[in-house]
Amino acid sequence: MLRVSAVAEQAGIPSASLVCEGFIGQASTTAAGLGLPNLPLARLAGHVDTQSMDALTEDVRTQTVADVIENLLGEQSVAAVTNEPSPGDVVFNGSFEEVNRFFYENGWSDGLPLIPPTRERIDRFLQFTDSAPDADLGTVLPDNRRLTPMVVAANGVMAGCRPEYMPILEALARAMANPDYGVEHSGNTPGAETLITLNGPLIRELEFNFEQGALRDGFQANTTVGRFWRLLLLNGAGFRLHHNDKGTYGNTFRVVLAENEAVLDEIGWPALATDRGAARGQNAVTIARFTGGDVLASAYGTTAEEILPYLADGLAKQHGWELVFTAGLAVGTLCPMLILSPVLARTIARSGYSRDDVKQYLYQHARVPANAFERYIGEWTNLVPGRRTLNELVAEGRGPAVLAESDAPDRLVPIVARPEDFMLAVSGDPLRTNAYVFAHNGMLGYPVTQTIALPDNWASLRRSG
Amino acid sequence: MAPGCSRIQMSGGTYWLLTPSGQRADGGYVDDTLVSRADERGLLGRLHRAGKFPRQRVEVVRNVADEQTINETYYRRGWTDGLPVVAPTLERIEPLLQTVRAGRAEVLAELDPLRGQASVEKVAANAVMAGCEPEHFPVLLNAVRAIAAPEFNLRGVQTTDENVTPVLIYSGPNAAALEINDSFGALGPGWRGGAAIGRALRLVMQNIGGGWPAAVSLAGLAQPARIGLCFAEREDGNPWNALRVDEGFAPDDDTLTVMRAETVINVTGGLTELASVIGSSASAFSMAYGGEVAVVLSPYTARQLDARGFSKADVQRWLHAHGRMPQAVFEEQWLKREIVAAGRWPDWLTAVPTGSPLPVVERPENIRVIVSGGDLPIAQQAYLPTWGFPPCWLTRRIEF
Repeated sequence: MLRVSAVAEQAGIPSASLVCEGFIGQASTTAAGLGLPNLPLARLAGHVDTQSMDALTEDVRTQTVADVIENLLGEQSVAAVTNEPSPGDVVFNGSFEEVNRFFYENGWSDGLPLIPPTRERIDRFLQFTDSAPDADLGTVLPDNRRLTPMVVAANGVMAGCRPEYMPILEALARAMANPDYGVEHSGNTPGAETLITLNGPLIRELEFNFEQGALRDGFQANTTVGRFWRLLLLNGAGFRLHHNDKGTYGNTFRVVLAENEAVLDEIGWPALATDRGAARGQNAVTIARFTGGDVLASAYGTTAEEILPYLADGLAKQHGWELVFTAGLAVGTLCPMLILSPVLARTIARSGYSRDDVKQYLYQHARVPANAFERYIGEWTNLVPGRRTLNELVAEGRGPAVLAESDAPDRLVPIVARPEDFMLAVSGDPLRTNAYVFAHNGMLGYPVTQTIALPDNWASLRRSG
Repeated sequence: MAPGCSRIQMSGGTYWLLTPSGQRADGGYVDDTLVSRADERGLLGRLHRAGKFPRQRVEVVRNVADEQTINETYYRRGWTDGLPVVAPTLERIEPLLQTVRAGRAEVLAELDPLRGQASVEKVAANAVMAGCEPEHFPVLLNAVRAIAAPEFNLRGVQTTDENVTPVLIYSGPNAAALEINDSFGALGPGWRGGAAIGRALRLVMQNIGGGWPAAVSLAGLAQPARIGLCFAEREDGNPWNALRVDEGFAPDDDTLTVMRAETVINVTGGLTELASVIGSSASAFSMAYGGEVAVVLSPYTARQLDARGFSKADVQRWLHAHGRMPQAVFEEQWLKREIVAAGRWPDWLTAVPTGSPLPVVERPENIRVIVSGGDLPIAQQAYLPTWGFPPCWLTRRIEF
């Protein structure tokens, strides 16, 4: 909403933004990132959802209205400039322990020891890109800071990455700045976490784990690139806990998921990135933000028809309030993810299912009763106010037609708008019959696939490294 | 603090300093604005390092021979009151943070006029600089919350051309343990608690709120209490209810009262002499705006009055009735002639019949009575007039 106010102010139209008390700090920080640090805010005491109508009316009457009038009529003070170190500046000299203390005290750390981003280490990373150190990889909110290979390399060093991960890190920075992804939402209260999925020959070349324990820390490549993402959110985008990162719980960063491309080739399924438009065999990262996940243990059966009902059920169960990204808030932006172990993928493929067939199956069977859908987005959360039915929402253009195929309250409706909204990956212990499902965060972390560019001298760099 | 990293790393002239100046919600520092103001006012000769500091929570200073180097830097950055400060190292701040329930990053308030965020640790940095001990910190937080209350009108206090300042009055059984003076020399130097708490509040106003003297704070003369003034109500020898009890708190509570004082005037004598000072030009601003003024009575005087049957309320009524300004004198007041148009005086003032002397506040209870000072039969009292709007007498219980 502040972004709307910012546009209005920039067009010369006075604005007032109503902000609940707990969000004032976030609002001010966001406003600064929008280039309008003094964007007028009107305070609502407490949280409106927990107040009676009388209390809310009284608070609005006694405080908020006055703020609005002041916002609209008052003179806004001019923007301040905060000096930051210039790119390449040495900000500190000291021992390993001192550097870590210094970075931690100044809020540049995730709390784990960091590798000090010395000029020498950064330069080594920069050798692994053909981009200039100050190339513009995109500008990210809330701090409105431009991401450059220099910034990327510094955070990569800090995260414990190896220099040869640099092409992946640079691609991730570009993905972060892709407006489709919506990085500016990364401080929202549900506190979802990004999952990075890697495809291409780099998986093997850089020794990413794509087998047993694929989502657990333990392999340098998967772990440090996942950590890098969180550090770039902190030091690049500027999401800081207790300031503008308002995740109620959040989560630890997710390690990179790498697909088992040998199995994909064997069963003739495209990789996730290929499915999303990248060339076959292209190195690429796909980012998406997930609110949570669960393992579906022991999927039992020798055919797709025996296995898939359990997986479809698991996907549907994983989604509750998130359904508002299928209908209500942001129509058709929910992209749930299903990760199949190789043995499950092989069994399903052997039954004649293509990747698209699986998605079609999930579209038909990962369903919930319409009245449950309505409770998740309405009665229980008020994310869609007014207790509107799915049929009403569809009539308003705020949901896909498939949700309104009848009036039966307990009819089963899909959890996504289109079959292609499901994302599939194959990874994990090759011989375990377990799968994993992730609930998606819709437009607040929409999937983005970014190809990875290797430097022209990649082969020789790798030999010399 | 990252596990495994010791906080105790002060040897070898290395100082881990918590930046004491105010950061706004948008991330900017009050110094960004103050540099321009200081430049306009020609202050950058003295403050030649204003705004020159890393925009970081923590700054590390190495290879300095002694703390005087840091002190010099802070002085030139505009972060001191002109006297030496104690370097606000993380090690020194930590024990203060342990004395309060609030978390280190909790923002108590955004302080006017430049809206710097008074986070607990930022206040603690200024407390260390002022010489506070850990046990003083809860009192300081109480004071910071008070000056951020709308009734205090911090914006006005920080920017007016008048000389007003917060005065802190401690009432409670822990005053002695905190070394806040309630006896001989209560309004003067010598006791660490009162001196450091009062000074720390001024540094908070200056460094976090941005009230740099002569740059933003344009008091014509200011007053000695702007260095800091925190004293205690007398615990023994006070014949009447303690201030905290008058304010509805329990006798074993500790409270801090914050008032806006235009100045502190010594009055040797008794109620008659006090009345003559109250009914004078010293009270011009409470006549203009209303408000809360205070008298400090010596314990000896208070007991004499008590023996004559005067309750505290009787004293208030007497001073209200006799501390008045003759109409003819009022008509000649500068404020009356030059500033306040005829129709803008308070109703309670204009309601006084023509020819009758004028009270300086609306009601007797607006003249607050505090017993403090040395117990000797040479009666020394004080009058603290006020400035500004709205009326301000803020008493809060101190959470230890």
